[in-house]
Amino acid sequence: MVGVGIEIEKLCVGYDKNRVLHDIDLEINSSEFVALLGSSGCGKTTLLKSLSGFIKPMSGQIRVNGSDVAQLPPEQRNMAMVFQSYALWPHMTVRQNVGYGLKLRGMSKEQINCKVDELLVLLGLADFGDRKVPNLSGGQRQRVALGRALAVDSPILLLDEPLSNLDARIRLSMRHEIRSLQQRMGLTAVHVTHDREEAMVMADRIVILNAGHIAQVGTPLEVYEQPKSNFVATFMGAENEIALNVERANGTLSISEQEAVKAASLSVSNEIGDGGVNWQATAAGSVRGRFRSSAAHLLADGTVPEGHLALAGRVTQLSYPGGVFRYEIESAGQLYMIDDPCRYAVGDAVTICVPAGGLHLYSEAA
Amino acid sequence: MSGQSMSVGPGRMGAILLVAPALLMIGFLFVYPFGYSVVSAFTDNGEGSWHIANFTKAVEFYSKDILFTIVIVSLSTVIIGILAVAIAGYLTLGENKTAVAILKWLYRWPLFIPFIVSAQLMRTFLAKNGMMNNILTSSGIIEPLAAQSYLDWRGIVITFVWKQTPFVALLVAGAMASIDRTTIDAGRIFGASRLRILIELVVPQIATTLMVGLILSYVVMLSVLSVPLMINAQSPTMLTVDMAWRINSYGDYGVANALGIMSYLFTGVVAWFYLRQSLKDKGA
Repeated sequence: MVGVGIEIEKLCVGYDKNRVLHDIDLEINSSEFVALLGSSGCGKTTLLKSLSGFIKPMSGQIRVNGSDVAQLPPEQRNMAMVFQSYALWPHMTVRQNVGYGLKLRGMSKEQINCKVDELLVLLGLADFGDRKVPNLSGGQRQRVALGRALAVDSPILLLDEPLSNLDARIRLSMRHEIRSLQQRMGLTAVHVTHDREEAMVMADRIVILNAGHIAQVGTPLEVYEQPKSNFVATFMGAENEIALNVERANGTLSISEQEAVKAASLSVSNEIGDGGVNWQATAAGSVRGRFRSSAAHLLADGTVPEGHLALAGRVTQLSYPGGVFRYEIESAGQLYMIDDPCRYAVGDAVTICVPAGGLHLYSEAA
Repeated sequence: MSGQSMSVGPGRMGAILLVAPALLMIGFLFVYPFGYSVVSAFTDNGEGSWHIANFTKAVEFYSKDILFTIVIVSLSTVIIGILAVAIAGYLTLGENKTAVAILKWLYRWPLFIPFIVSAQLMRTFLAKNGMMNNILTSSGIIEPLAAQSYLDWRGIVITFVWKQTPFVALLVAGAMASIDRTTIDAGRIFGASRLRILIELVVPQIATTLMVGLILSYVVMLSVLSVPLMINAQSPTMLTVDMAWRINSYGDYGVANALGIMSYLFTGVVAWFYLRQSLKDKGA
C-alpha cells in the first residue's frame, strides 16, 4: 500500500470551549514522514487525534486524497495507529493482535495467517506468535503494536509517541526500524514526539507546534540551522541568549561593543551552510541573539578570529557529560552553557567565541 | 532474632483477642448452623444413624421444583449477563452524552429496592389486568382479550432480572471504566464496530468481574424466598418455597436441609467452574 497525501486546512480544535489548535494549515505529501514536535500541551497529540478521528474539529478540513474526512469516525478513515501505551489487547496472543485488523476486513484464516507470519518474521517476533501480550517485554510489545498497524495495509500510519516508554538503547534501534519500514512500504507517516533528536532522525519534515499554532515547518536541517523564531531556536537547543546592538549594511552585521562583548563584523546567511548569521530580526538595533552550547567554544588568550562574536567571561561550573566538557560561564551578569574539549578550571578567565554560522538573531519582541 | 520472636508472643495473643469476637460470631452464626444442617440432612434431625432418606424424599417430592429452580436461576443469570453487558457497554462506548447520563442515573434504582418490594411491584405490573397489559392494550399493541398474566415462571425471571441486573451492571461498568481506553480506540481505528469492540475487545478484558457478578447474583437468586412465593405460588415452584413449606407445615428439617444442601451444590458447581477458569487465566 502506497501512502496518500493529507491536507489540513484552517483546522480549529478544542475541548468544550477551550480552543487547543488555531487555524492549522499543513500539507503532508504522499509517503512522507512528518514529525509533530512540541512541548507538553502544545497541541501535537490533539492534532494527531483530529487526524485519527478521535476528536471532531470545531471547524476546518482534513482532506485525505482530496476528500474531507474531518467529520468521519475513526473506523471509517482507513488509518493505522501505534499508541503511546501500545494499546494491545491483553486477552489475545501476539498473532491474534496482529491479525485482528485483517479479521475485521473479512480476510480468510489462511490469508490472515500468511500475512501475520510474514510480519512476525519482519519484526523479529516469529517465536512469540502464541504468547499473550502481558508476557512480552516493552520492546516486543512495541513491535507487536507496529505489526498490528502495518498488517492492515493502511496508507497512513499515525504514531503517538510510540517510543517514549522504551529504554534508551531499544529506542535508538526502533527509530531506525520504524523509519526503514515506512520507507520500504511507502507509507505516509505522522509521528508525534517531544523528543527533538527522535524527530530529527526519523522525519522528512518537522512541524514545530507552540500553543496550538504551527511555529515552523521544515526539514530537520532547516529547523535546526535556520529556526524562524526565538521559540523554535530555544526548542531546537539554542538556549544561550544575549541582547545585542547591531547595524546591518550590504549583507554584513556590525555588532556594537558593550559590556563583555567585543565589537565584531559578521556576514549574514543567504543559504544554509554558508557560515553566516541566521538573521530573522525585522530591523537592526536592539536584537536578541541565541546560540547553542555546542556551536561556541572557549579561548583562553582572548585572540578572537575574524567573523566570530566574542564575550569575555569566567568559568563558574563544569561537568563532563561525555566527549566534551560542559562549562557554565558568567559574562556581564549572564550565564551561558558552552561545550569545549579543552580543560579549564572554575574561576579561569575565558572568552566565549561564537562563529557567525552558530548565531541566530531575532527582534526583541519575537 | 530470638529477642524478636520473644516479642511476637504477646502481639500474637493480642491479634487473636482482636479477631476472637468476629471468629466467635462466624462460628455461632454460620459454621455451627451450617454444620448442624448438613448433619441433620443426613440423619433424623441430628440424631440416629446416617442415611440419605431425606435426599431420596426430596428428589421424589421435589424433582420438578429442583429442575424449575435450576432453569429459572440459570435463565435469569444469562439474561442478567446480557443486559448488564449492554448497559455497561453503552455507558462505556456510548457517544450520546445525554443518553449516557440518563441511563447512568436510572439503571441503579432497583438496587435500593428490597426483593419483597420488587415482587410486590411486579405483581401489580405483570398481572392480567396489571400496568403492563394496560399500557400495551391502551397503546394498541395487543388486543384486550390477548392480555395474559405473567405471574408464573416468567414473572420470577423478570423480577430477578429487574432486581439483579443493576448490581452486575454496576460491577461491570466499573471494570469497563478501568480498562485502558486506548485498547478501545485501537479497535475503532482498525475498523471495528461498537458491537464488535464490546464483544471481542471489552468483555474479554472484564470477564472475571462479569463472572463474579453473575455468580453472586446466581447465589442470591437461589436463596430468595419472597419472589417465588409472591409471584408464583403454584407448582412447580422454587426450592426456597419448598424448604419454607417443609419447615413451617411439617417441621421437617431433614428434607428442608437436604434441599438446602442441593442449593449449596448448585452454587458449588458454578463456583468450581469460576475458580478453574480464573486459575487457567492466571496460568496463561
